[in-house]
Amino acid sequence: MHIERIPLLWLLLQATLVVTWGFNAEMDTGPSAGAFAQSNSDRFKIEGRAIVSGIKPQDWVSSARVLVEGEEYVGFLRTDGSFAVNDIPPGSYVVEIISPTFRFEPVRVDITSKGKMRARLVNYIKTSEVIRQPYPLQVRASGPHSYFMKRETWGWTDFLMNPMVMMMILPLLIIVLLPKVVNTNDPEMRKEMEQSMNMLNPNPELPDVSELMTKLFSGSKGSSKTGGSSKGARPAVKRR
Amino acid sequence: MAKFILLFLKLLAILYTVQAVFEDQVGKFDWKQQYVGSVRFAHFDNQIQSSKKVLVATEKNVFAAINTRTGELFWRHVDKTGPEGNIDALLLQGQDAVMVVGDGRILRSWEVNVGGLNWEMVLDSGSFQSASLVGHQEHVKYVAVLKKAAISLHYLSNGHQKWIENLPESDSVDYQSVYSEGKGEVFVLGLVPHSHITVVVYSIDDGEILKQFTVEAPWMPDLQSSCSVIGKGMLTCVDAGSLSLNMLDLHAHSEMNQIPLQSIGLEVSSGFRPVLVSSQPNAARPPLSEFFLQIGPDQHVLLQLNKGQILTLRDFKPAMLVSFATTGEKTVAAVMSLILYINLFSAETGRRLLDTTLIFTMDPNGGKPEKLYVQAFLKKDDSVGYRVIVQTEDHQLTFIQQPGRVLWTREEALSDVVTMEMVDLPLTATQAELEGEFGKKADGLMSMVLKRLSSQLILLQAWLSHLWKLFYDARQPRSQVKNEVTIENLSRDEFNLQKMMVMVTASGKLFGIDSKTGTIVWKHYLDNVPSNAAFKLMVQRTTAHFPHPPQCTLLIKDKDTGLATLHVFNPIYGKKSHVTPPLLPQPILQSMLLPLMDQDYAKVLLLVDDQYKVSAFPSTKNVLQQLQDVASSVFFFLIDANQGRLSGYRLRTDLSTELIWEVVIPAEVQKIVTVNGKKANEHVHSQGRVMGDRSVLYKYLNPNLLALVTESTDQHQERSFVGIILIDGVTGRIIHEAVQRKARGPVHIVHSENWVVYEYWSTKSRRVEFSVIELYEGMELYNSTVFSSLDRPHAPQVLQQSYIFPSAISAMDATLTEKGITSRHLLIGLPSGGILSLPKMFLDPRRPEIVSEQSREENLIPYAPELPIRTEWFINYNQSVLRVRGIHTAPSGLESTCLVVAYGLDIYQTRVYPSKQFDVLKDDYDYMLISSVLLALFFATMISKRLAEVKLLNRAWR
Repeated sequence: MHIERIPLLWLLLQATLVVTWGFNAEMDTGPSAGAFAQSNSDRFKIEGRAIVSGIKPQDWVSSARVLVEGEEYVGFLRTDGSFAVNDIPPGSYVVEIISPTFRFEPVRVDITSKGKMRARLVNYIKTSEVIRQPYPLQVRASGPHSYFMKRETWGWTDFLMNPMVMMMILPLLIIVLLPKVVNTNDPEMRKEMEQSMNMLNPNPELPDVSELMTKLFSGSKGSSKTGGSSKGARPAVKRR
Repeated sequence: MAKFILLFLKLLAILYTVQAVFEDQVGKFDWKQQYVGSVRFAHFDNQIQSSKKVLVATEKNVFAAINTRTGELFWRHVDKTGPEGNIDALLLQGQDAVMVVGDGRILRSWEVNVGGLNWEMVLDSGSFQSASLVGHQEHVKYVAVLKKAAISLHYLSNGHQKWIENLPESDSVDYQSVYSEGKGEVFVLGLVPHSHITVVVYSIDDGEILKQFTVEAPWMPDLQSSCSVIGKGMLTCVDAGSLSLNMLDLHAHSEMNQIPLQSIGLEVSSGFRPVLVSSQPNAARPPLSEFFLQIGPDQHVLLQLNKGQILTLRDFKPAMLVSFATTGEKTVAAVMSLILYINLFSAETGRRLLDTTLIFTMDPNGGKPEKLYVQAFLKKDDSVGYRVIVQTEDHQLTFIQQPGRVLWTREEALSDVVTMEMVDLPLTATQAELEGEFGKKADGLMSMVLKRLSSQLILLQAWLSHLWKLFYDARQPRSQVKNEVTIENLSRDEFNLQKMMVMVTASGKLFGIDSKTGTIVWKHYLDNVPSNAAFKLMVQRTTAHFPHPPQCTLLIKDKDTGLATLHVFNPIYGKKSHVTPPLLPQPILQSMLLPLMDQDYAKVLLLVDDQYKVSAFPSTKNVLQQLQDVASSVFFFLIDANQGRLSGYRLRTDLSTELIWEVVIPAEVQKIVTVNGKKANEHVHSQGRVMGDRSVLYKYLNPNLLALVTESTDQHQERSFVGIILIDGVTGRIIHEAVQRKARGPVHIVHSENWVVYEYWSTKSRRVEFSVIELYEGMELYNSTVFSSLDRPHAPQVLQQSYIFPSAISAMDATLTEKGITSRHLLIGLPSGGILSLPKMFLDPRRPEIVSEQSREENLIPYAPELPIRTEWFINYNQSVLRVRGIHTAPSGLESTCLVVAYGLDIYQTRVYPSKQFDVLKDDYDYMLISSVLLALFFATMISKRLAEVKLLNRAWR
């Protein structure tokens, strides 16, 4: 289910792309200008706040950092979770909040040579795509990092519910228990059983199931009756 | 539907190669050590008596709080490297630590308890001179920052600027220090060297200049190193020329008052420049009127300024280090004497305090003490107790309590590991005995049998004692079981998973670390290492040649002069070897370890000097003979990065060399960044790859292949490029050349087997990209038995593919296993601190864009432009390793297992299983289940047998 949802999401993203801002023309010159503006005069700061819901900032800020474009610029988090990375020349940067416990999505921040800021989603494949994010940045943790794989645990229920085991155990139970439950020595019962056996197999001359199947697959069109039975069998297979 | 299947297949492929840590494996075979670097500033957190923090700011731009009980870190903040993160000053006031960073660019205040930032301010540009806390009416409320041309005052509470003033005549006067004593004035002291001192007094309230005057001081070269304010505003300077103290009252601007040192009975050692040490415990009050004057390399005098008179309180003749410390209202002076006793003296009287002797035992393999940080505290009976941190030349911090109990040591040299090797541990005596049996010549059947029996007996005995130890340990509570690692009990384990990590640090200290526990087994400080040295560590003899000790050689080369020295040592014990290395009078250009061995099984090291003469170490007759025999097949290359010249040489029998090829890369256009060969200890198991149609694509496995990376000198983002050239090191033949346009470095490269993976920054798309080049011979192998660079007529087929990587990279390497059967993974150190284990399968130029039956058969993952980063692939889970500088991989005795050490600011050691543990039982193997099933089956057969018997009997009776 999840897998099929991804392309759908993609479509949605692209749909939003159509209704993006008329900011593009100006922005495309922004980063290229940034490469030259190494002079000390035009330096800006990226501001924002990182939020981990349900946890006090004091408990996690000391192990967190803000990295701008790898380790090119480094910022630290205040005790309330807000941050400001100073001294950044105009350009386009990926801002990440790094914490060993919580996962934050990176954001791309564009700074024009005039100091105009905007934040957008990071897309490495379509680099010019703009999906606006709030600025000053509001970065919410999307939960703790999952570092570990789950061990395959062994439980009785898992073992018993295994279809192979079920297939083995059920016939075994029938073979062992049925003769005990049904008293075979009783002549009446024996008679009844014989009758029911005949019911199951009313005509001993009829081909048995395996032969039927071979006939079916060897190409000769079976009767409508066999077709129906095969139809009935298929959903059963799928269900398993 | 087709897309669905495709995605499903992709997922399947990912799941198939997934490799991750299980939660119960945490700390089982991995460990991490965190470092901060050589300490520049250290302050004890003294605001509460029970505080156990020491705050340090280091040369590595790290600010951290160390727990004084354990020596571990409470928290640590790592700023960017280089001058922009450089910590200029650290001031501690109550709960706030104020830091000036990046040559006065940023002012930061930290909350010390939590480790979070209070505020951060950007200051105006201008080179930083000095910073000081400023008190007013008994409260410290401000911090003053003095720059080249301006002084600014900031509130401690929020960092806002109270005022900023330009300094008068700042182009001629060199303002160097700022001083205040809590009286509503800030003194700024400037100097025109060899002319006069300028004093400017500002009002704290509005920055108005209250006073300004100059004092003649034609002898003074520098203010900061020779002057200090003592007592109530008495600027005291020491004149090294006339050997006198010069005093100036800052409040009453008068002339300098000169007091010759001889007049107070002090004799300065000849040629020594006296140094002043003073202390201002509280910024809201004047400094102490007592100060130290160092008048010789090991002589300090405690002096007191009393009503304009200098009194000698005490003369410390053998005294290496002195330091003041204050607790409450008491100030004490700690003095370390030459014989490494530390004593406490009352600062006011100079009397020695009773029972305050502390002994510092210096490591004979360490450096000399360099700095003393004293934590004084009041005991219950109001006497002063203290603990000290001693910093030594080799960046070691030792925390000592009275009377000399070492609470912890931190080896901060390990924050700067340059190179390392992993050396096998030696066999135990019994193991060696067993091994020895096979090596000896046969001497009669009977004695052989006897020897075999006796060795088996020894083994049995060892096994029994091992069992006994297990039993004994199991009975004791876990905490009491000592698992100390010493040189004596270090021995190779059955899978060779435990090794000795030999680490070389930039400070010149060598370490031997046990890879299983991280214990430092030995350390050795080389005290004559130049500061800009380049190191190369080589294992000349492994532990495999039993009676001969293992031998490592460290080549230390001064980068400027090219002069080199060799240090030969035993990697297991750290001892310097008896073998005397040759003296190298000429600059060394290149060194290489040949697979040749001398009669003592030491590999031959060849050194090429700037006259292109080759010398060998060891250079016995045997070696020279062997060298003559193989000389015609010894080739080497030299790189001149400045001229862009790569040249190949061949060895002649008389140990001279001849130039055979030369490649010139025009240095005006591009510069050589790295040249990367293959690892010598790498094995390739399969010669080719089986394709979907069952044919074989043979790999081009040239052991002499070099990967050369160049970067354009033009840094413009439209014209910059990264080039890669694959060149044969023997013939100089260029195998392949590729250029990545609109790209720039830093380039990280891994070269192994038949592939080269490199990473660069794409300036056009502003992202990190990976590119992989694979070389194949084709469907047929030219000469399958042996590879010769001279006889390979066909150029290899080159396949290349590129990918996007969604993060920057700090270091990269590939896993390495014993036989090369296990699939390869790339280990990528990320700036976030994670070490990603990325299957090489994702970097395969044969990844198809359209999935076909054949590619599916080959297990190729369909091409996707972006490489995934999944936190499950982080081999170090949440144990972040910051500023990874290198990743070292070494094979273990198990084919499935590769040992990994990542080093940078931290050191992290772990094991990885790129293809899972296929050759040993997994550690979650359920012994209980298998044995219970077996037992159950056994009983079931017994019971059913019995039942069957009964049934048979019953039937027989019927």
